[in-house]
Amino acid sequence: MTELALTSPRVLSSRRVLSGALAVGALAAIPTIASPFQTITICYGLVFAIAALGFNLLLGYTGLLSFGHSAYFGTGAYVVALLVKYLGVASMELFVVAGILGSAAVAALFGVVCVRYTRIFFGILTLALSQVLWSLALKLFWVTGGSDGLRVPTPTLLGGLGGPGADKVEFIAHRYYYYVLILFLVATAGMWVIVNSPFGKALQAIRDNETRAEFVGVQVWKYRWIAFVISGAFTGLAGALWVPLNGLTTPDILYWPFSGRIVFFTVLGGFRTFIGPIVGAIAYNYLETYAVGFTVYWQLVLGIVLVLLVLTMPTGLVGTAMQLVERVRRGR
Amino acid sequence: MAEEVSRRDFLNRIGVTIGAVGASAGSLVLPSPAHAQAPMPPKGTIPDKPYKTGHMTFFTGPAAVLGEQSYKGHILAAEEINAQGGLLGKRKIETVKADEAAGTDANVKELRRMKLSENIDCFTGVISSGNTPALGPVAEELKCLTVFTDGCTDFLFEKAVPNPHYVFRLTNIQSADGVMAAIAATQAWPKITKIAHIHPDYSYGRNAFDHFNIAMKKLSGNIQVVSEAWPKLGTTEFTAHITKTVSAKPDLLFCSVWGGDYVALYKQALKYDLFKKMKVATTLAFGVAPHALGKDHPEGIVAGVHANYHFMYPGGNKWPLNTQFVKKFYDRWKEYPNFEAEGAYTALYMLKLAIEKANHLAGGWPDDDAIIAMLEGLMYAGPSGYNYIRPDNHQGYKDAITGFAMQSPDYPFPVHDPKRVITVPIRSITAPPGYPKGEPTTTYKWIDETWPRVV
Repeated sequence: MTELALTSPRVLSSRRVLSGALAVGALAAIPTIASPFQTITICYGLVFAIAALGFNLLLGYTGLLSFGHSAYFGTGAYVVALLVKYLGVASMELFVVAGILGSAAVAALFGVVCVRYTRIFFGILTLALSQVLWSLALKLFWVTGGSDGLRVPTPTLLGGLGGPGADKVEFIAHRYYYYVLILFLVATAGMWVIVNSPFGKALQAIRDNETRAEFVGVQVWKYRWIAFVISGAFTGLAGALWVPLNGLTTPDILYWPFSGRIVFFTVLGGFRTFIGPIVGAIAYNYLETYAVGFTVYWQLVLGIVLVLLVLTMPTGLVGTAMQLVERVRRGR
Repeated sequence: MAEEVSRRDFLNRIGVTIGAVGASAGSLVLPSPAHAQAPMPPKGTIPDKPYKTGHMTFFTGPAAVLGEQSYKGHILAAEEINAQGGLLGKRKIETVKADEAAGTDANVKELRRMKLSENIDCFTGVISSGNTPALGPVAEELKCLTVFTDGCTDFLFEKAVPNPHYVFRLTNIQSADGVMAAIAATQAWPKITKIAHIHPDYSYGRNAFDHFNIAMKKLSGNIQVVSEAWPKLGTTEFTAHITKTVSAKPDLLFCSVWGGDYVALYKQALKYDLFKKMKVATTLAFGVAPHALGKDHPEGIVAGVHANYHFMYPGGNKWPLNTQFVKKFYDRWKEYPNFEAEGAYTALYMLKLAIEKANHLAGGWPDDDAIIAMLEGLMYAGPSGYNYIRPDNHQGYKDAITGFAMQSPDYPFPVHDPKRVITVPIRSITAPPGYPKGEPTTTYKWIDETWPRVV
């Protein structure tokens, strides 16, 4: 169990700080060293990573498997699209704030119902509620555009300092990439603080033994609900950042397979480590992008990867890598 | 106050033609399309680097019965052009394919990948009208020359890409579908009043609903919608929608369900005797690959082909370009082409013609802007007839067609009744250039404001 336990030491070791700084440096250098396509692909990955971080607060740290996180991602995206459609807003900062608030509000409401239950019941409830939002997006044709979705034009960044310019590819692969990167770093730091705070430790106590946690005075229901709202808000932030990148939002991102995709990100990277979901999201995005591009049997490829992953690497890419490093060290 | 005319006068006035398509299997040897289009020898130095196209269509799911044909039409044209040395005799066409069923968001990513990573020269294909409004703006952002071969929503060039530069589309616009079905239905069954609808719940179904209704209002006057059913696109279980429709006791069912969805719908509707209880008009019954429909398909219904093309028309020796295309397609793939196959085939030949014209003017390999300038206003005689790309909105137009289903001993699937094929000049059923934009579409507004009411 010790090997599988979440590795989140209270203090950051200098080795971790160094490797983190190197990773940030590499991410910051990508637009200058990689092609626009690679930069855009990483940008998608970073956005999905924020959603996976939020999701993992529930799965990895609180022990709740949500199968309805498409609801919060979609809410973030649709709030942005509706702001464009009805209020003509173009400011990315407003999009971000509204996306977070909108998804947090939906999560707060859904959370009241869902966190009373655990395990399969929790999963089914989150799934069912997310499908309510999906059917609304699909059926309210004149408001949401139905399955056509809503277009979101290029936003203005920092109150016009980073205007869209004429070349959208250049915009996404440079200015917007850095905008996403900064918010990704803020979200990652924020999540790190949360999971290492007394609140985060209480969530882990709930995950490990709900009864004991209750006995030591943790208000389980309340803590789970707060975790649910935070998780929804992170996922909503990802939705708000995703929609200008994609150019439009459709009900596909509210549909249950998208919730499955968020689960996939996290399982692929490893939900028992802090950075697992981040690595998983970026890796999944690459996997899907290339699978769709290179074969019409892309669903088969993703299915095989998932089966192999569960059978051979239950701790995900990061967990397996850490185990390998540990084995090498012991061998030495 | 709109003028009032008799229905017969009105149908005559807009140029509705009903009649024989001629013998379907011509035996005359006629000039090939390449000769008919009078190719010009290339000028200047042409590089021999392959010309890379990205073709996106459905390879999986219920829409694959259209998608496979689109791909086969594209590949047939590419093989023919490559057999002549390639574009301008030098550049062989290479095709990168992608599955449209990956979903709109994945398709946006895939188009970016194709242009930025695979460096495609031209993007073609796309079937769903949910996808072209998403991909059109991205193609413009990527400065990627694009010829959509379907995805025919009016919305693309009216709202999503109102000032296209890189994006073109060849299929007739969607509004023509609903209007053609209304013309065929009122021509065949003038006394219908109670109408039921079954449409896929997305822009295509909504558009068909709107345009059928406005055309029926003008053509028939006294109509009443007695039932509406909106199954999700990709549905293959229609029992609830069928029973709801039957219980409403309509005179006519108007249906724009397409692809594998339609195959499932008609087979399930047979069990409820739906086709005996009401008349049926469709926009896309014959939109799938012809062999996808069985001998159990009902006769006498309006079997739409997206107002674009059916392989039997123009038939016989009336239009050799079609006779030869059908033969070549059959020889290559052992099946008959549908409108997707014809659209994808014609798209590559129109691109070829535009490249040749641009080369003739400037010499060497023309840049995209030169090709675009030649595509704008291009008229091309293809298997389906004359195709014209309007320069103002980059939309392709051709005369619209629909017909009535019948079982023929000559084919193992239903075909159009040769005596009852209906064609209409496209200018009679779509808004002309410069007409003020309107809601839900400009054509809707134009019909509402300019068509007389029949009495």
